[in-house]
Amino acid sequence: MSKILRIVGLMALLMMSFGVMVTTAQDDMMVVRIGGIHPLTGFLANDGLGMDQAIQMAVDEINEMGLVPGITLEYVSADSTGAADVGQQEAERLITEEGISVIIGTFQSAVTGNVATVAAREGVPLIIDVAAASDITERGRDADGNQWTFRIQPNADVMGTFAAQYAVAMTSAGGGELGSVAYLHEGVTDYGRSVYGAFEAEAANIGLDIVETVGYEFGADYTTDVTIVGASAPDAVMVTGYYGDGLTIAQNMEAIALDVPFVMGVAQGTYDQDQFVADAGSLAECFFNSNYRWDNLNPHALAVRARYAERFGEGMTSADVLAWQATYIAADAIRRAGSGDTAAIQAALLETDYEYHIMPYDGSITFVDGETPNAIPVVMQVQDGAVKQVWPPEIAESEPRFCTSWGG
Amino acid sequence: MTISRDYQILAGLTLVFAILPLFANQFQLTLLITLLYWAYLGTAWNIMGGYAGQFSFGHSAFFGIGAYTSTVLFLNYGISPWLGMFVGAGFAALFGAAMGFLTFRFGVKGHFFALATFAFAEMSRLIAQDSDFINSTIGLTMPIIGGDSWSQMIFEDTKLYYYIVILGMLIVATMISIWIYRNKLGYYLLAIREDEDAAAALGVDTLRYKIIAVAISAAITAIGGSFFAQRFGFIDPALVFGVSISIAVLLRPIFGGSGAIWGPLVGAIFLTPMEEFTKIFVRNPPEFLSFMKGRAGFDVLLFGVIIIIVVIYMPDGLVGSIPQWLERLRRRLRGQSQSATQEAAR
Amino acid sequence: MEWKQYRGSLIGGLVVISLFAILIYNNVDWRACLEPEAEGFVLSCVAENTSAWYARYGVVMRQATVSGLLIGGVYGLVALGLTMIFGVLEIINFAHGALMTVGLYITFILFDTFGIDPYLGLFITVPLLFFIGLIVYRVVIHPARDAPHHNQLLLTLGLTLLIENLLLMVFTATPRAIRLDYGRGETNILGLFVMQFPIRIWRAVITFDKLLAFLGALVVTAILYTIIQKTDLGKAIRATAQERDGAALVGINTDWINMITFGIGTACVGAAAALVLPFRPADPTAGNLFNITAFIIVVLGGMGNAIGALLGGLIIGLTQELTGIFFPGSPDLIGVFVIFILVLLFRPQGLLGQAA
Repeated sequence: MSKILRIVGLMALLMMSFGVMVTTAQDDMMVVRIGGIHPLTGFLANDGLGMDQAIQMAVDEINEMGLVPGITLEYVSADSTGAADVGQQEAERLITEEGISVIIGTFQSAVTGNVATVAAREGVPLIIDVAAASDITERGRDADGNQWTFRIQPNADVMGTFAAQYAVAMTSAGGGELGSVAYLHEGVTDYGRSVYGAFEAEAANIGLDIVETVGYEFGADYTTDVTIVGASAPDAVMVTGYYGDGLTIAQNMEAIALDVPFVMGVAQGTYDQDQFVADAGSLAECFFNSNYRWDNLNPHALAVRARYAERFGEGMTSADVLAWQATYIAADAIRRAGSGDTAAIQAALLETDYEYHIMPYDGSITFVDGETPNAIPVVMQVQDGAVKQVWPPEIAESEPRFCTSWGG
Repeated sequence: MTISRDYQILAGLTLVFAILPLFANQFQLTLLITLLYWAYLGTAWNIMGGYAGQFSFGHSAFFGIGAYTSTVLFLNYGISPWLGMFVGAGFAALFGAAMGFLTFRFGVKGHFFALATFAFAEMSRLIAQDSDFINSTIGLTMPIIGGDSWSQMIFEDTKLYYYIVILGMLIVATMISIWIYRNKLGYYLLAIREDEDAAAALGVDTLRYKIIAVAISAAITAIGGSFFAQRFGFIDPALVFGVSISIAVLLRPIFGGSGAIWGPLVGAIFLTPMEEFTKIFVRNPPEFLSFMKGRAGFDVLLFGVIIIIVVIYMPDGLVGSIPQWLERLRRRLRGQSQSATQEAAR
Repeated sequence: MEWKQYRGSLIGGLVVISLFAILIYNNVDWRACLEPEAEGFVLSCVAENTSAWYARYGVVMRQATVSGLLIGGVYGLVALGLTMIFGVLEIINFAHGALMTVGLYITFILFDTFGIDPYLGLFITVPLLFFIGLIVYRVVIHPARDAPHHNQLLLTLGLTLLIENLLLMVFTATPRAIRLDYGRGETNILGLFVMQFPIRIWRAVITFDKLLAFLGALVVTAILYTIIQKTDLGKAIRATAQERDGAALVGINTDWINMITFGIGTACVGAAAALVLPFRPADPTAGNLFNITAFIIVVLGGMGNAIGALLGGLIIGLTQELTGIFFPGSPDLIGVFVIFILVLLFRPQGLLGQAA
């Protein structure tokens, strides 16, 4: 018994020592801490790491320029590892141990939903940079109905709905008619299914026929899945998934010479990335993606991306841009709140009317029930080795082209 | 009436864990819940993987069945999780017994059994991902009730209540574990683990007792799954049927000493803080490692290294190896002091 | 007992017929033929609908078969490494996939930094992975040789965490893809003849990189099979796998054999990695996918059986591709696990293994 007790006692002591917080040197500036939760390890680390860097960059810029008078922001990053329970535990740590005033995150819907619940319960605002599932903002409400979760990204409903409308509108603008589509989506996480669900609902609404649906699992080869889609002879193929699978699917489409001159990602992780152009070369041509994005016609957006590329030596993705933007929204609220008081920041967030954003939204970022009403996706296409905005026409850099790089 | 030594230890530990929350802040309380929680699941695994020696690499199947059963009953039929968790335990026990019957009946053992359990767990994940009536990959979410409710086992304000629930669950699970270990069932299981053929030759109905071990282990694990769903408020197939649960469940008992009553608890007491320490270490590394600060993956890497070192140097787990070490140390100290006295005598 | 000699073909025939029945039942619109207004006889109507279905989706069947076989070859190669380690050391090596990921990154560096073609790079990747295998065995596996089996499993799990996160720290998680500048369109094969890629067989396609991966896997398997069957080293390995103590008694240094086997097993994933990278990007967790299938294949093919690994790989590759066609809407891997459990129950020694 004594040996067990000894071990238990020792471990209890070790745990006490967790309470030792590192106190940072403070000058007369008030410090407000911002927490970020993203998948920094595991199979989504690629996306999470970039977003984490983007927040750090934004915080450094804001401090340097003194955008929040009298307050120095400090960034505390946490790793969700891609798991909802770990993400929730990290949120609890950030709030109770690190004393953060705002959380930004978390890329995955499953994780974000859990963090939103914790944030609402603990009374700390959560700003979603990326996470699509539509019901998260509802989960970010406390029992009294106060909104603690705010999203600047168009949610899954918005993205699925707009993609269906965009696809039809783009085709008719080109003088054609979109009768049928086939849909390939990843079937392993909630993201593929929820985006597809929204698309399906809107398609039924506007009389667009979905002739084939394939929910695929992650693998080394999707040739068969692509062949199934091709066999249904659709007018367009929609794809929803992550970067790696999207890249392989593009290669497989080339291999079977898929005879559909209209392949579009819906909130897809590959076809609007500069890395896709670098990895796939000429194959990348003609791929569309309807996704959240910065406004490429906005010179500030280009400057931000240039700074990011210079500092980290890699391209800034749409998700990174949203994380950067979310940090500015947080800083704006902290400035108006004048302190790190979470209730004051929440109140300030409710009043947000932020027009200096670099997103392609028509009007400023505001929050209604936690969502940004102006948030819309845009359609991009790889044209001549560059990702161009092609739809809606107000922000188009170029006309959509209906083609395939394999000349099908 | 004398209380056996095991129950004395249990009483002592209960006392320690009852006092600990007084000194813990909110986050430390979270860690303590996590610790007890993995100790609980480890205790469940230990009955099957430790006592009976039937190495399971697929406990997430039972875990997921428990989590989904109680959650679906609660969300769709308003049945309290306190009841639902036992329904889930029943389902998991049935599933475990069926799996055990199939595999044991056909003489699947050792590595093959471990892989079979893995296959069953993966199959249940795939089926769950494809079942629309449990919301497929999108998962299920607990409602926010705005307060604490014992009848619904949702505690949004007072985390301590979760701690009390899981502590109670751990005590019950440990009592079951002690009871099994000290009774006929335990002797049979240990005999099966040591030499199944010999046990069978002595008239032990090995098939029956192995299936019983799997069913008990599955039922306890399923209740842990229900607790998980209540505590985190969200489940999806990848989360509760995933391979990471299977790994996490067996990590503690093996670390602490598989087949020992206290192995899972000791393993959890060691591993949970260790996991947290690696994270703290990476956040605030010592001067010479400062370039490692905040590098993603470094903490998990350290965790991997610790696992390797402990497995190599403590092959019998902490419960088995530490007493050996202490004994060796004592002998060496005694030897030195003896030689010192001899020296002085001269 | 006359019928016994026909039993095999009888069961095989029944399986094929029921598979066809399932295929038609699940895919062809036979219900329409039962409607009162359906024309002609029910059977001819079903046949008509079946041929209509095949005209449209036959290409999917053919493509699935081809794809399954091609990727199955690579699965077989990964499983070959695992089955040797499994057979000789009797450990479940969870780090096998992680070591494959190391191979992927080595191939990537060779291509990206030194401009070495991945197929030429085989001659660097394979020996390098062999040595990495030796070191891993010596440092990590060997000290726990006599520990209980579950300890070794834990050890390889720890090793997986270590490797995956080391790769994450060094290379970040950005997927690293390479694109060969040949192998599409007219391709000159070693200056001997010109071939058109991708190859088309009744509209099912075979791409250059996948064909090469398949052929490469066959060649490596053949080489290893020869080594195991014909050389002294191979005999020693087989002896150790069958009867460790006996092998030690006749003077075989089983410890050394363990190390060599682990090295060879790791070299297999090195080869697989180089063959796969042209069509599968590298990221720190890329090997996991191959790891899981490899375990199943090892059991399917029989422990330590090289031909069994290849056969198992092909079967798993086919099953994975065809499940979705025979049972529309069900996940591909379900079929794989069903086959796995059936084999575990009814033929635990594996398809080609000998009954104990």
